[in-house]
Amino acid sequence: MRLLRAPLPAILFMTGTLCAQTLEQAESLWKQHRHTEANDVFRELVKAHPRNAGYRVRWGRLYLERFQPADAAQLFEEALKIDPNNAGGFLGLAQVAAEGFESKAVEFAHKALAADPKLLEAQELLARLALEDNDPKKAAEEAHRAIAMSPNAMQAKAILATIDWLNDKPETEWDPHAGPAYETAGAIFVLNRRYEEGIQFFRKAIELQPDLWSAHSQLGINLMRLGREDEARAQLEMCYENGYKDKPTVNTLRLMDSYKNFVTYKTDRTILRLQQKEAELLHPYFEAEMQRALSTYEKKYGIKLDRPVQVEVYPDHEDFAVRTMGMPGLGALGVTFGYVVAMDSPSGRPPGTFHWASTMWHELSHVYVLTMTKHRVPRWFTEGLAVHEETAVSPEWGDRLDPHVIAAIKDKKLLPVAELDRGFVRPSYPTQVIVSYFEAGRICDFINREWGWDKLLAMIHDFATGASTPDVIEKELGMPPEQFDKHFLASLEAETKKTVDGFDDWRKQLMKVAEEAKAGKNDDVIRDAVPIRDIYPDYVEAGNVYQFLADAYVAKNSKPAAIAELERFAKAGGRSPDTLKQLATLLEEAGNRKEAAEVLDRLNYIQPVDEELHRRLGDLWLGLGNAAGAIREYRAVLAQAPTDPAASHFSLAKAYRAYNRPGEAKDELLLSLEAAPGFRPAQKMLLELSR
Amino acid sequence: MKALVLLLAVALSMPPVTYAATYYLTVSGLGGEPDYEQRFGMWAADIGKILKTSDAADGKVETLVNGTREQVRAALERIAKEAQPQDAVVVMLIGHGSFDGYEYKINLPGPDLSAAELATLLDRIPATRQLVVNMTSSSGGSIEVLRRPNRVVIAATKTGTEKNATVFARYWVEALRDPAADTDKNDVVSALEAFRYADKKTAGFYDSQKRLATEHAVLEDTGKGDAVRAPSPENGEGQLAATFPLLRIGATASATKDPAKLELLAKKEQLEQQIDKLKYEKAAMAPEDYKKQLGALLLELARTQEALDK
Repeated sequence: MRLLRAPLPAILFMTGTLCAQTLEQAESLWKQHRHTEANDVFRELVKAHPRNAGYRVRWGRLYLERFQPADAAQLFEEALKIDPNNAGGFLGLAQVAAEGFESKAVEFAHKALAADPKLLEAQELLARLALEDNDPKKAAEEAHRAIAMSPNAMQAKAILATIDWLNDKPETEWDPHAGPAYETAGAIFVLNRRYEEGIQFFRKAIELQPDLWSAHSQLGINLMRLGREDEARAQLEMCYENGYKDKPTVNTLRLMDSYKNFVTYKTDRTILRLQQKEAELLHPYFEAEMQRALSTYEKKYGIKLDRPVQVEVYPDHEDFAVRTMGMPGLGALGVTFGYVVAMDSPSGRPPGTFHWASTMWHELSHVYVLTMTKHRVPRWFTEGLAVHEETAVSPEWGDRLDPHVIAAIKDKKLLPVAELDRGFVRPSYPTQVIVSYFEAGRICDFINREWGWDKLLAMIHDFATGASTPDVIEKELGMPPEQFDKHFLASLEAETKKTVDGFDDWRKQLMKVAEEAKAGKNDDVIRDAVPIRDIYPDYVEAGNVYQFLADAYVAKNSKPAAIAELERFAKAGGRSPDTLKQLATLLEEAGNRKEAAEVLDRLNYIQPVDEELHRRLGDLWLGLGNAAGAIREYRAVLAQAPTDPAASHFSLAKAYRAYNRPGEAKDELLLSLEAAPGFRPAQKMLLELSR
Repeated sequence: MKALVLLLAVALSMPPVTYAATYYLTVSGLGGEPDYEQRFGMWAADIGKILKTSDAADGKVETLVNGTREQVRAALERIAKEAQPQDAVVVMLIGHGSFDGYEYKINLPGPDLSAAELATLLDRIPATRQLVVNMTSSSGGSIEVLRRPNRVVIAATKTGTEKNATVFARYWVEALRDPAADTDKNDVVSALEAFRYADKKTAGFYDSQKRLATEHAVLEDTGKGDAVRAPSPENGEGQLAATFPLLRIGATASATKDPAKLELLAKKEQLEQQIDKLKYEKAAMAPEDYKKQLGALLLELARTQEALDK
């Protein structure tokens, strides 16, 4: 992929013969798509004129176009070292930052304009950045400034036209009738999750400029996102064959190649795509949860989807990441494209770090909200509702109040609701996306609590008309957004006051408790940990108070107290498989088998890729008379190619027998005895079933 | 799965092997730091405990936690004096190993013990059947020196260059403790069953931790081949390991001395052979036919076993 900077032998020969390269030569080669040769000429130019910032800027632009933004940024920085007021250098850095949705893009573009007030590209970029930030008013102002600089500013016109198109005004005076302009419109529509319309713009772009490979690539990627794989592949292969091999194109083709290793399950309203090696294991859990979520949402949102929802589950996080390339925000666990949801598999994450069911409910909520609003919904609202839905299923689900959020509340860094989209699209500090998810979720919780679910539904319908956040807040909640912010913040601060105020002390005390635990001072642990436990009850990560206390109680043989602590851990949303299994063991030892089974069942939503879990839960459920549950668990054991197939088939046979399905019980017995013909318990049951 | 079935079939069709005794020697070496020191010692001690409580050990279990080269030598020399050709010997090594490209050594307090020296000591033992389970880092570097006909060699790493500390020993201990390791349910955990159990659990460990696996256990039991990750009839490895009883975990039905039951025993053996043969033919049969015939044979076997148990 590093085509440009690495000298190829043929080029080396050529460079030896070139002695008086000019910028015109480089630009001409570049224009002819002879990128390697252009690169070589630039290298010679820079070597011959080490103090020329302009050459470095142009060379950087070549890198930027040829998918090497890091190398490009280095050249722009070098140019700025030579000439600290170089407008092209700042513009280049702004473009690199804009590609990565970094907040510095705006700052660099302003610096470029300050250095050269007539730099049209910088002005046009500011217009685009404002529209990406969901600020059409500012975007229009910036675009008009660009047009004032040059009446033919194509990208500025594209921004003004896109604003009209986003507002469902197909006839616009600003339509620039140019491929790159339609490509810009397509990108903005995709950013607004209006994929179908985005695709139409990419098609228009290609129609006008058939060799606009970046538009072909975007068309292919978005077709893939919506599940139209044949056409997507054709577009992407066309890009590849024509030398357009940027990361999104290549990685998407690779991902599509890997689809042969996936299994697809279909029902009348679901399509579930799972990786072959874990399909048999995950299918029952994912299918059941998908159906449950769809039924719940159908009632809650009051609509029936007109086609099946597709959920794709990727055990390799890199495959999933390909799905989110070029998208702003985290996209860390799941992402929704209309009726297609892509998400991580629980096997793709370290055990205990990922609640797959919570993520699935989150993403499926997007499907409803995007459908109801025809994708005309601000990001903060659809994300907020999705976060709200996670804890609506169970308070144990969803994300916990984490230290980044506590710091943001403390430092008054939460954004006003009218500007909250910015926190998702172009974060101004590294953890702002996480903080924005939390804030959006709590806003929806707040509205639901104070005004009721119907208001949230009404807001969805308002957004569907294209209304803005301030207008919707004003209309449905009867107050301007600024007043809403005050109410919300007062409520949030009251809710989190104990944790926010006590956080520093809590941290110090927790360190002390950790030291005491390490030294085996169990009485000290109990004395010091209990008072801090409730200051920050949401802290359930490694080194949490609950675990320290439980260990101390177990060491002192106070098992009921240990159980109580670990139950608090579970209720607070604790997800460590080891800790939850420890709780199940303690409960089982105390004779509370039903509760033990419930604890283990929680793990099915967190880390179902665990043979021991399913075996234990199967045994518990069989003992408790839940034969259907036991069947599911033993089947999960078998789906993982267990170390002991004979015993696993035998367990399943027992469950089938208890469920009064003797035929299947006998089949499983035969499989058990096929693996171990002398297995006495299985032989005994075979005789019983045969009598 | 197919490979396993074939292998079991081969194993079951072999004449039953009886040993007068099995000698076990477990050695844990230097940990280098307290964590490893404690872990290695604990695993070795656990193996010792499990073996001592099993029926078959018959008091011939020796465990050297932080054992020196001299202690290992002395222990193996004692076995060499006592053991008979029909006996078996099992040597298990836990700890850190090193391999410089030529020579493998296990790190022990004082001078280390090389694979070559261990091989010499083992060669002096008259017990025909031998099992060496080298669970140290770099243990793959010891295979070439240790392999010999009638000796099963298991190493936690496929080469001497896998130098990171291993977890294979943890799951080897678990294989001795967990009845699930006895996959054919004959109340005996064979060397092959324990290898497969520990190997699968080791791979699962790295997988669940999302860590790149730094150890890949291998087995060699022909004395002349390359050690393999997955022993099978196709690669010719695993036949000896499948019939090498590492641990008896229950009341193995030793051949009854009741003459009245000899006929039943013969019938049982015949049925088992028929089942093995049928499994061989499975691929070429219609599934329903196979199921029907298998069901009938298994039922008859169960009835025969029931009669034997009366």
